[in-house]
Amino acid sequence: MDVGFDAAQRDLRRTVRDLLDREGGAGRGSPVWRRIRELGLLGITVGERHGGAGASSVELGIVLAELGRALTAVPFLQTTVAATVLDRSAAPVAAQVLPGLVAGDLVAGLATPGPASSLPVGTRSALTGVLDNVVDGPHLDLLLTPALVDGDTVLAAVRTDVAGVARTTLPTVDRSRPQARFVLDGAPAVVVGDAAAAARAVDLLLAAVAVESAGAARHCLDATVAHLRTREQFGRPLGTFQALQHRCADLAVLVESAWSTAWYATWAVDGDPATAAVSAPLAKAYCADAFRAVAGEMIQLHGGIGFTWEHPAHRYFKRATSTDLLFGGRAWVRSLVARRAGLRP
Amino acid sequence: MDLRFDEADEAFRREVACWLATALTGEFAELVDAGGPGREHEHLQARKAWERRLGRDGWIGLGWPEADGGRGLSWERQVIFHEECARAGAPGRVGHIGEQLLGPTLLMFGTAEQKARFLPGILDGTRLWCQGYSEPGAGSDLAAVRTRAELRGGEWHVDGQKVWTSLATEADWCFVLARTEPGSLRHRGLSCLLVPMDQPGVDVRPIVQLTGTSEFNEVFFDDARAARDDVVGAPGEGWKVAMGTLAVERGVSTFGQQMGFAREFERVLAAARATGAADDPVLAERLLDSWMQLQVLRYTAVMTLGAPAGSTPGTEANVAKLMWAPWHRRLGELAVDVLGAAGTVAAGPGVDELTPAQRLHLFTRADTIYGGSDEVQRTVIAQRMLGLPRGPA
Ligand SMILES: Cc1cc2nc3c(=O)[nH]c(=O)nc-3n(C[C@H](O)[C@H](O)[C@H](O)COP(=O)(O)OP(=O)(O)OC[C@H]3O[C@@H](n4cnc5c(N)ncnc54)[C@H](O)[C@@H]3O)c2cc1C
Repeated sequence: MDVGFDAAQRDLRRTVRDLLDREGGAGRGSPVWRRIRELGLLGITVGERHGGAGASSVELGIVLAELGRALTAVPFLQTTVAATVLDRSAAPVAAQVLPGLVAGDLVAGLATPGPASSLPVGTRSALTGVLDNVVDGPHLDLLLTPALVDGDTVLAAVRTDVAGVARTTLPTVDRSRPQARFVLDGAPAVVVGDAAAAARAVDLLLAAVAVESAGAARHCLDATVAHLRTREQFGRPLGTFQALQHRCADLAVLVESAWSTAWYATWAVDGDPATAAVSAPLAKAYCADAFRAVAGEMIQLHGGIGFTWEHPAHRYFKRATSTDLLFGGRAWVRSLVARRAGLRP
Repeated sequence: MDLRFDEADEAFRREVACWLATALTGEFAELVDAGGPGREHEHLQARKAWERRLGRDGWIGLGWPEADGGRGLSWERQVIFHEECARAGAPGRVGHIGEQLLGPTLLMFGTAEQKARFLPGILDGTRLWCQGYSEPGAGSDLAAVRTRAELRGGEWHVDGQKVWTSLATEADWCFVLARTEPGSLRHRGLSCLLVPMDQPGVDVRPIVQLTGTSEFNEVFFDDARAARDDVVGAPGEGWKVAMGTLAVERGVSTFGQQMGFAREFERVLAAARATGAADDPVLAERLLDSWMQLQVLRYTAVMTLGAPAGSTPGTEANVAKLMWAPWHRRLGELAVDVLGAAGTVAAGPGVDELTPAQRLHLFTRADTIYGGSDEVQRTVIAQRMLGLPRGPA
């Protein structure tokens, strides 16, 4: 066994953290997105034949955890997950779009996963259905979605700027995570993978969301502890009160366990894909829960300042909530775990 | 990063499984699933014989240095051994206090002579130990220890009382935290003494637990004797030694414990299916939560306990304890809840006649108390891991 990160991985983390400390903004026009493109991070998991770096899901996770920590609002998670999925696809369209995705000229993403009844249906070249709450939807040039074609599940790719696709941008409470609804009406589609590929794509997406959440949750705890160390009431730092120490300890357990779970799943996606079928949805459910709990306590333990628009706590709280409710939502993800673990039929 | 056991480790796993399949037969067949927390009273003589069998075949002290009689195996192999024992239902250990607490303490602080005298008896499973730390006035606050020892006529004279001492009735020796500097305060002036149990000055009285059984005991020392050289670490340095003992509880046995937890969960699930409770939406969610948390325990153990020493804040064991103890307690609650009213009917009229589900439910109340209570773990995590400041004394 080899637990922990190697020197190159630690360097990568430092590079990304430095970058996010310096550059900000949101969306495709932002300075931070430009730097991410320049550094080639969008191709991190893509094979060298398509211009990528050919790294593993662990390296992708390192970037995602940092983006979660900084709550950076760029379509990185979606694009890299889609690129990773397409890199494994033999469909000709994959080779056509990958260079654009790696360069950041194109942005792609996965539809929010869910029960079979929510999937678009049609033929191998035209799909009909509604894809709601697509994360980063307003930015996407290309949308990947599981679909039902002649009774089989496949993974399909749909361009968003063609006739047959209507996009509506949705206003969101979590402003770091824009959404759109796509109505497909005989939309031109290409099959890029079979049912197994569709399932693996969802596993990768869920693991990616988990590790991003774990990074964000860790930041919430760090910021809260830092506040309690310095803020004084009753003539002493708040952090000296045992009631608060014990609450922070419980949060630390949540954060540590979420972090470990997220990394286990992130590693498993490439390192042991069979077990990722359980660990990825489990990690998503667990990390989203932990993130919600820690972000909620972040507000509480900051007192009034934590309730302001100016303080970042609410942004983490809103991101935590959207993380839990999106990407299949809590009930569906948990039932996926239960079924795959053999706990339920 | 690679979180799998490698091929050589898997081969070792097969070797362990094979050995267990052969060893747990004949006189030891009755020991499958016997003993362990809450069931220490079961098959004691046979379990002591099992300790000697483990020792004879080289399964004690797997991680100890070869120079000290151990096998110097990697943590992966130790984990595998614990996992396979749990999977095979190997009996709860009677020698774990010697192997997992005193042995590592001697490896850290003992002299060459002490190691030569005491390690072989642990390694061959013939000498059992108990831990004499807690006292009526010193539980979470261990530095309040009052048992005292005085060097007179070339030996230590020990007077005082210990309490909650697990397996003291079975133990041959006790490692005792005692005050050896009269008038010393708190963590100063303490020493860790090795005291033989079979002597007139030692009186052991079992305490009946809420399970109706007695694993733990009161131990009275009334001019009990310990040899001059049987003090671990320098006299007066007992606090450092005691803290060392508590720190080595960090460990590989966590993994084996999880395999045991998985077996317990399977039994609860089977019961839930048999009674139809598994179809109840509320209980189904609790079962799922329990199962998910068990995986999280494992992922966390892999990611933190396997990390190279020094790369972490050293509080992994505290985090692990604060995860598994409440989890196990909730599993105990679930075990009786899935049975409903039937879960209230005991196995027989005796106070200790409990069904396995009832025993799990009752004994797991201790998990959040011993080995550092949940509250103590929280304080350690808050102050040592998060760096929150201590309050006014
Ligand atoms: C089954 C079992 C086996 C045991 N085996 C052994 C053994 O073999 N050898 C041995 O030496 N000991 C043993 N113990 C003793 C165990 O270590 C103590 O019970 C434990 O340290 C708690 O001490 P106490 O019982 O005195 O409780 P107390 O310290 O009196 O604590 C009572 C309650 O107050 C809480 N509390 C205490 N201090 C604080 C604080 N500062 N802040 C917040 N809350 C606090 C505790 O968490 C607990 O909930 C065993 C205990 C059990 C239950």
